[in-house]
Amino acid sequence: MIEDIRALARELLEKGAVKCVIGYEVGPTGRVRPAFVYEPGEVERLIFDGRCDQNLVTYLTRRNKPRKKGEEVPTTAVVVKPCDARSLRVLLNEHQVQRDKVYIIGVACHGMQNADGTPELRCTRCDQRVPLLYDALCGEPPEVLAVRDAYEDVQQIEALPLEERLAYWLGELDRCIRCYACRQACPTCFCSVCEAERDDSLWVGIADRIPEKAFFHIIRAFHQAGRCTECNACEAVCPMGIPLSLINRKIAKDVAQMMGGYRAGESEEPTPLVTMLTGEEAIDEIH
Amino acid sequence: MSGDGFEPRIVAFLCNWCSYAGADTAGVSRLELPPNILPVRVMCSGRVSAEMVLKALLSGADGVLVLGCHIGDCHYGSGNHRTVKRIPLLRRLMTYMGIEPDRLRLDWVSGAEAGHFAKITTEFVEAVRALGPLSLPLREDLDTG
Repeated sequence: MIEDIRALARELLEKGAVKCVIGYEVGPTGRVRPAFVYEPGEVERLIFDGRCDQNLVTYLTRRNKPRKKGEEVPTTAVVVKPCDARSLRVLLNEHQVQRDKVYIIGVACHGMQNADGTPELRCTRCDQRVPLLYDALCGEPPEVLAVRDAYEDVQQIEALPLEERLAYWLGELDRCIRCYACRQACPTCFCSVCEAERDDSLWVGIADRIPEKAFFHIIRAFHQAGRCTECNACEAVCPMGIPLSLINRKIAKDVAQMMGGYRAGESEEPTPLVTMLTGEEAIDEIH
Repeated sequence: MSGDGFEPRIVAFLCNWCSYAGADTAGVSRLELPPNILPVRVMCSGRVSAEMVLKALLSGADGVLVLGCHIGDCHYGSGNHRTVKRIPLLRRLMTYMGIEPDRLRLDWVSGAEAGHFAKITTEFVEAVRALGPLSLPLREDLDTG
């Protein structure tokens, strides 16, 4: 599989079909990190294995903004796992990325692993082995084994009494240091001026205290409603280990339940939160 | 008014074209309305974002009421189609985070439905009164600029 990716990257760069290939490499400390390859001679840096869990689609929105007015957007090839492909579908639906400026190197996914070799929790819930969209596919898709109940942990929180839920979330969100790593890592969080960082603090101040921190996380999650593809990038980069995916996946679960089984990034439909009623919704009763 | 002295503070987002007119009609008709409602006029109930609801709750409101035109009657055609999806979703998220869902209510009031407006506001104030004050840490000195 690695040889396929390298050969394809070399071919694309030599032909001049793309300016840059975004993939994975092993950094100096031995950890896997994103790699930006501009020269055909450098493709040997690229790797792909069970440690490549970053969502590289995040970099595409920034590359889509030319530095100078009128400058052409560079064509980029990107290594995309099935979960990342859903993020990319969302960005294409929202016209944040131009399809003809992206070459999608799809990889058949065997699931990602934690440092100790156990499968990542999110991968045990996933049944996609081949990306939904790609220009070239590398690797052989493995069989889908038993998939774990996707919302087991969300249901555990839902089952707690109300006061305990509030205490749980205040405790978790209080650890936030407002480093905004979750926002930076999120492929669908692409506003050029973030509401949480505005000088005039229109909605939320920049203080490092629980009301502002809770406000930031709730609003950030709500902005991803029907757009979050549960790629877990936010939770993976959180230095304080806040279970952010529990908020995002709660919303994803409710969106699917209320809006006719909608799942972000699986169709060309934008999030139902911005579209008209279709009559298929099962929205909670209005009083 | 009530024995225990707790008077809920309710922020009501009223759409300019139907619900605000409905509230006006209720006033002109001299219907009895609860004094706990702080109306905020918005151009469309579709403008009421999660930020607005949360900021109201964190800044001291005990409940938030969102009123708009009936589905099909929206001045802009389909503004309230967004509201009807957004607010129930937000209610579910609030519940998940540990805030009673009954502190947020969405309903429709047309310009002529003065009686309906009076009924909804009275019902909602009583519902929030029963829930008691919303206690969130540090909410009084929230720095929202």
